Amino acid sequence: MTLNAPGLDAALDTSAVVTARTGRRKAPRAGLRRRMTFDYVSFLLVFLGLPVAIFLIFVISPFIQAVYYAMTNWTGFSPNMDFVGVDNFVKLFQDPTFLQAMGNNVLLAIVVPLITIVIALIFASMITVGGPSHGQVRGLTGSSFYRVVSFFPYVIPAIVIAILWNMIYTPSGLLNGLLGVIGVDTNGFAWLGDARTAMGATIFVIVWSMVGFYMVLFIAAIKGVPSETLEAARIDGAGRFRTVTSIILPQIRDNVQTAYIYLGILALDAFVYMVGLNSTGGPGNSTLVMSQYLFRTAFEKGQFGLASAMGVVLAVITLLFAAIVIGVFRLIGGKDEGGRS
Amino acid sequence: MELTQTSISRRNLLRGAAATALLLPFGMSLASCAAPGGGGGGGGAKGEVTADNPFGVAANTEVDAVIFDGGYGVDYVENAAKIMAGNKGLDGVTAKVSASTKIAQELQPRFVGGNPPDLVDNSGANSIGWNTILDQLEDLSDVLEAENLEGTKIADTLFDGVKAPGTFGDKFAAINYVFTTYGIWYSGSLFEENGWEPPTTWQDLKALGEAAKAQGKYLFLWGKEAATYYQTFVVDSAIIQSGDDVRLPLENLEEGCWSHPTLQSILTVLYELIQAGYVKPGGGGTQFTEAQAQWSLDQEALLYPSGSWIENEMKKTTAENFQMKGVREMPLDDKATTPAGFMRAEAGEPFIVPSKAKNPAGGKELLRTMLSKEAASAFSKEKLAPTVVKDIVPEDGFGSTALVSQVEMIASAGSGMFTIQSFNLYGMNSDQLPIWNSFLDGKMTVADITKQLQDLTDKIRNDSSIEKIEIK
Repeated sequence: MTLNAPGLDAALDTSAVVTARTGRRKAPRAGLRRRMTFDYVSFLLVFLGLPVAIFLIFVISPFIQAVYYAMTNWTGFSPNMDFVGVDNFVKLFQDPTFLQAMGNNVLLAIVVPLITIVIALIFASMITVGGPSHGQVRGLTGSSFYRVVSFFPYVIPAIVIAILWNMIYTPSGLLNGLLGVIGVDTNGFAWLGDARTAMGATIFVIVWSMVGFYMVLFIAAIKGVPSETLEAARIDGAGRFRTVTSIILPQIRDNVQTAYIYLGILALDAFVYMVGLNSTGGPGNSTLVMSQYLFRTAFEKGQFGLASAMGVVLAVITLLFAAIVIGVFRLIGGKDEGGRS
Repeated sequence: MELTQTSISRRNLLRGAAATALLLPFGMSLASCAAPGGGGGGGGAKGEVTADNPFGVAANTEVDAVIFDGGYGVDYVENAAKIMAGNKGLDGVTAKVSASTKIAQELQPRFVGGNPPDLVDNSGANSIGWNTILDQLEDLSDVLEAENLEGTKIADTLFDGVKAPGTFGDKFAAINYVFTTYGIWYSGSLFEENGWEPPTTWQDLKALGEAAKAQGKYLFLWGKEAATYYQTFVVDSAIIQSGDDVRLPLENLEEGCWSHPTLQSILTVLYELIQAGYVKPGGGGTQFTEAQAQWSLDQEALLYPSGSWIENEMKKTTAENFQMKGVREMPLDDKATTPAGFMRAEAGEPFIVPSKAKNPAGGKELLRTMLSKEAASAFSKEKLAPTVVKDIVPEDGFGSTALVSQVEMIASAGSGMFTIQSFNLYGMNSDQLPIWNSFLDGKMTVADITKQLQDLTDKIRNDSSIEKIEIK
């Protein structure tokens, strides 16, 4: 998958690779002729040449084309276009609607991963180490049941989730009905139709659909923490909370970082959720995101050049986001990360 | 094989892969952009031009038609294709009718690649913006000049108001097939029960709103994707009151076009209705067909402004004995400058013939067949909607009260019909929706909404990269 270079790096620091490296150091480099065996060449061709070729043709070349189109006034339906330089980008950054959409995306990229990861971590800890404080370190009773149940939302396609919650939030929908049962008269409040609640309601849906998966991811990571360490911590008098913050969190930091980046990319896109929940961009464009605006600009307004420019901006923001997250995690990582290149 | 001795270690190999993987997020946002390329196409073989074959379709050719698969389906074109295939005046011309719900996305590569279909129904939410393809379309005036299958000149068999919505600048680029009237729709039975009269001016609305409130009902309601139906209502009403004085500035994106006094007065009346609680709150969070069902099924509101597709759209969710009827959108007061019955009515479902298509003559021939009495009657009977062909719907409207009121409206309007093109032409609807949702929700004053709509108009006018088309 994408962007898990640091995770990959960590995985590479295994003894096998270390052996391989030292092994190479011991044996002096062989001559050119010897290395160009059929095995070696075919290995390179199949496992490196082919993927790289596919990658260049289907991934890199569209990028380059998109960057080029971003500098044209292409309408999308004719083979003719003029080169306009950075005009499209200037226009974008003077367009209040686009800036608002960008702001919404940034808000999503900050809030969604944070809430999802905190909740997923809490659940994962409950299920793995939240159990009785005597005997072996284990989770709450019935933890495997909770684990399966909370994974359910992740199995449902995003568009189904969005339409489902659209129905729940509607003024005559389930949410207002339930609130009415417990005595809160909402007077047909439109959760997605009010600028104060639309974004919050949307964030809740994304978090709801993602928590299960990241919980399972964190459970797997916590299972990798040696139980001796956990037991030692308990013998030293650490409570459950202290165990989680001081023992588990530092040990699964790489997983948290990966989760943060994945969720951030999801939040920077968020197209399906937004279209399903509020296809119009929400009251006062309060839930409009860049990908939605891009789609409109391209297919409704016939401004493919401008839309490509939005795509480029979105891609740059995504890369920046990943870089910032990796940077921050390195910074708070302390000395155990320091030795790595 | 000794991997330890290769010059590229696994670590470096994987590192390279990881570095390239870092670039992947680009793909998520950009990879869908298609490249323009290729040219050519167009013209194709020509047949002999005869009275039975006015466009000279070559014998034994196939017409490639891509039809929007929306409320009306595609079977009516298939029906016309069948009639065309059996036409003895042509020599075995057949048609391949393909359905599409996303015209723009599906046909974009074909237009760019220079091999568009011969006939397209450019309709639906994902239709192609007119200003982007106009120069690639055939002028269809010769279809109107041709004779239909029954031997009458086609132009003489059509309603007025066919040419306007298909004309962009000087080009008649689209023949719209289905006739749509815009009006205010209500339940005939409910109004009769209570002795209410449908409104004739905006001044009638307040009293009607009060009467509705007395029964725990609302005057209007709206759904979030259809908030701009009220824009249509307001703008049309202003044009019915003051004519081209309002219409032309709006159509040509003029400065201050939203500040016309008539438009402002109507907005003020609507604002007062909203403040008085006559408009059902919460529409901004309600899906539009659900909202419409609150009107047609639960009868929570008395009136709903919409195009005449509303009957077909709500067919399954209309209360029994609802007796849907419509009146034209009404002027501000009784001092309207336009003739009585003046209304917004236009042909919808625009059919276009791209110039670069392989068989444009065949596209026109299929259109000519669709405009025949036989094909048009089949459509009206099946879909309970009038086509642009006159004198097809019988007195009883095939049993539909809404269809009868449509025919009445059209009859009393005569040639007094208008349309509004610019909002769709420049794809403004999606930007106008949030504005109207806020206004209907009572979150904006008249001054607010005027400013926001004007800003949007000004932005398009001042954007030199958007090609403007003068509307007359």
